[in-house]
Amino acid sequence: MRLYQPIPSNRKTTLISASVVLMSLLCIRYIDLQILNYGKYQDRANSNSIRQIILNAPRGIIFDRNGLPLVDNRPTYDLMIIPIDVTEKFDYQLLSNNIGMPSEELKKEINKGKKSIARFRPKLIKRHVNFEIMSILEEYKMSLPGIIFSENPARTYVSDSNISHALGYLRTVNDKILKDAPKGMNYLIDDVYGAAGLEKMYEPYLRGNNGLEYHRVDIYSRDHGVVSDEDRYSPKSGQSLTITIDSQLQSFVESKIEGHRGAVIAMDPTTGEVLVFASAPDYPLKSFVGPIPSDLWGSLNTDTNRPLFNRGINGLYPPGSTFKLVAASLIMESELINPYYKVQCNGVYTLGDRDFHCWNLAGHGQMNLKSAIKYSCNIYFYKVIQGLIFSQWSDMAYGFGYGKKTGIDLPFESKGIVPTESYLNEKYTRRGWSTGNLLSFVIGQGDVLSTPLQVLQMINLIATKGHTFQPHLNMKSEKIPVNLELNPKTWTFLQDALYDVVNEPDGTGRNAKIQYGGKIWGKTGTSQNPHGDHHSSFLGYMTTETGKIFTLYIIIENGGKGSEIASSLARDIFNYYADSQSAIVVND
Amino acid sequence: MIKKLFHSSGKFNIFWRVILPVIGLCIFSLVLLKSTSQQTPFFNSSLYRQLVWIFMGILTIWSLQYIRIQFFYEYGYYFYFILLLFLIITFFMPSISGAKRWIILGPISFQPSEAGKLIVIFTISKFLSDRHDMSEVTKIIGITLGLAIIPAILVFKQPDLGTAIIYMAITIPMLYWVGFRPFHLFVIVAPVVSILAASNLLLFYSWIFIMLVIIFLSHPKLWQGVMIFILNISFGTLTSFIWNHLYDHQKQRVLTFLDPARDPQGTGYQILQSITAVGSGGLTGKGFGNGTQTHLRFLPVRDTDFILSVAGEEFGLIGILIILSLFTMLCYWMITYAQKITNKFASLSIVGFTSLLFVHIFINMAMTIGIFPVTGLPAPFISYGGTFLLTCMVLIGLTNNILNQNI
Repeated sequence: MRLYQPIPSNRKTTLISASVVLMSLLCIRYIDLQILNYGKYQDRANSNSIRQIILNAPRGIIFDRNGLPLVDNRPTYDLMIIPIDVTEKFDYQLLSNNIGMPSEELKKEINKGKKSIARFRPKLIKRHVNFEIMSILEEYKMSLPGIIFSENPARTYVSDSNISHALGYLRTVNDKILKDAPKGMNYLIDDVYGAAGLEKMYEPYLRGNNGLEYHRVDIYSRDHGVVSDEDRYSPKSGQSLTITIDSQLQSFVESKIEGHRGAVIAMDPTTGEVLVFASAPDYPLKSFVGPIPSDLWGSLNTDTNRPLFNRGINGLYPPGSTFKLVAASLIMESELINPYYKVQCNGVYTLGDRDFHCWNLAGHGQMNLKSAIKYSCNIYFYKVIQGLIFSQWSDMAYGFGYGKKTGIDLPFESKGIVPTESYLNEKYTRRGWSTGNLLSFVIGQGDVLSTPLQVLQMINLIATKGHTFQPHLNMKSEKIPVNLELNPKTWTFLQDALYDVVNEPDGTGRNAKIQYGGKIWGKTGTSQNPHGDHHSSFLGYMTTETGKIFTLYIIIENGGKGSEIASSLARDIFNYYADSQSAIVVND
Repeated sequence: MIKKLFHSSGKFNIFWRVILPVIGLCIFSLVLLKSTSQQTPFFNSSLYRQLVWIFMGILTIWSLQYIRIQFFYEYGYYFYFILLLFLIITFFMPSISGAKRWIILGPISFQPSEAGKLIVIFTISKFLSDRHDMSEVTKIIGITLGLAIIPAILVFKQPDLGTAIIYMAITIPMLYWVGFRPFHLFVIVAPVVSILAASNLLLFYSWIFIMLVIIFLSHPKLWQGVMIFILNISFGTLTSFIWNHLYDHQKQRVLTFLDPARDPQGTGYQILQSITAVGSGGLTGKGFGNGTQTHLRFLPVRDTDFILSVAGEEFGLIGILIILSLFTMLCYWMITYAQKITNKFASLSIVGFTSLLFVHIFINMAMTIGIFPVTGLPAPFISYGGTFLLTCMVLIGLTNNILNQNI
């Protein structure tokens, strides 16, 4: 057992060298990982453990002119499931019944999640689950292992009034929106954005700034708190918006026009503030949580009554008899025709080989300008328009605000059409139109198209004798004056004529008269509609006993004569407003 | 027999060159376990248990100084047969988490394959030190390998691939130590490399080229050279043939080894997370207790198999280099002493011990950085776990004993 030859020292050297070589191989790999690819693995370690948490900023609250909240925020919940935590106990049917997703689909989603790399991470199942459903699911959490909720603010509509078209709705940001969004909005996929109405118009103010936090999470996505060495931004909620709408009056108006198609707008012409902005039918902002769901949006979009259509600023109607006031103003201004010049109305007027009828087929008899407005006689205007200069008439219409945007703070406003010679030449060629066309224009038919808001802007000018303001919904908007310089006599004449329309027992607008609380001026309109019954409209204003001026335009599609439904609706609204004003006086 | 176990001399020296690196590694281990045990109460933590095990290890080293090392020479083969018997008995024992590695007698349970590491070393040392005529190359190598392969197969069946690899791997340096030519060892190792290299055609061609060079430089007999060459090529081609006849799940396991990214949630996932932990440590590491991969539990079995990843993440390349240096120092001094020792059995035993430690640390490190499959071999002195720590301590104690007796 003695060793006869000692072990040669080269064996020691070889073994030690071999181990050093092998150790060096490890070293090379360590250097490769820790020095050469350090950045890559650092990123990977961070993305493993650091989650960016978006803190959704609540959108600004919208108040009405009296400080009543119209649009507020409430929490909604995103339902998420951590696939790895889902066991056999999981009650797919229970979940399916509550969130309205087929249980087969849920099962498929979750099983897919279980196989994916991200099976430790929460998987989004449904966005914008409301509080009630969240509570139910939380209660049955034992049968639903793996579900978690994350909170998001969503819009809630707390007012009795809808004001759908003015307020507008929210939609979910998609790729296209993301691409087209202006810089600085910092949209993310699945954010919400204002897609219509004031929500769209004041998007940058209402939206606020989302906050950002970096949280450290472990392999089970359990939160280990905020990472302190990363920047943190608190969410900044959107600025609140006070709008000029009187939500109680609006609510009253909405209840009155429910079931009709049409628009009602009321304003204070001394400030440009819009008090009522109703377009019927509207859509139920209250009926869903979060952004408008795409299936609802689709069905609203295909509804033949076009509830998404904002008739107040996009509905292009022939203005009808209310438009006669343009010609009346021109007569007063131009002095080409004496306002006391009389025209015999027999109910029909023949130009060339064509008959033009008055609405009163029996005829009105002897008509001067004032009585022609009072009785809304067509024949008078057919005759006098031929004594006026067409371009002056167009300019006058333009001066009253027709054919151009009123500038209200709502997106996508329509311009309407005031025919001019060049317009007609282009449309019908130089020889394709004649005086016959002008006869239609003067009574607000034919090519003349206007939005209800434009018509209202005309009465705003008349009620203020030419010194009103651009219509606006934001209380804080700058007041932009809109002026029309006419002879004071003209304004007085127009006001007197409109007073007679309502207050004379045989005026066409007599239905709009109220017994106490204010004086009413007005003009009815019956727009001929080639597709069905006439559109019934009423344009007018009231001065209350408290000195307020309140202008109103109503148009009811297929409502028949303006002297009927529109006028009586106007009376109700005037009454309501007068009562609310006197109530304020009493309270004071 | 009991008399033969102890020697009379009561005095012994401590060979600090061997002991100091061990102390260094144990301290490093405690630091790492302190970091991973942050959220557990002290008396439940692996830190506390490791402290107890280290204390028991010190007692073991101390008591081993009174052992007559010749005892293991004299009774080497008896131990070997007892080992085989015990390994067979494990197959009749209940399995614990899918493996039958333990002999369970009521409250006591032990793992014969762990002691087997020492017994295989002693048996081979005895066998090789008894050979005076080294000319019967094939016979001696054959028997030596046989002595390792029989327990290796039993252990592999348990299944415990790591320990089986250890049994086989320690034979090569020991055979070299008694004077076999590197060429003979090459002949043993070559088929394994041929099989592994067969996975990739380019790798296989490079390997054929390296084989040709080695065979040419070693001047074997012509027929030997040709046969070795043909056999190896056959191994390689056979491997790809077998590969094509494997079931998918079997292929999957092998592929996961070759490309960890293939199955990120299985063992490949563990390797990926470990690599991420190590890589994100950089040069200086994230600092004590700051390893995000470690503390947020992305890193699997961090106290045992992947503790070096914790070291890599929290102490960076510098920490790894410290560990590597400590191991290199330990191996250097053990081999250096082994060369000076005149007793062949004792000298071979120390080489066996050194190989065992080296293969463990090498495979464990290689596994955590994705260049070796996950085999469950812990890192000596660093990984948490009593049995293996005690094996290593016994091994160091015996080395110190041998150096004291200096027979």
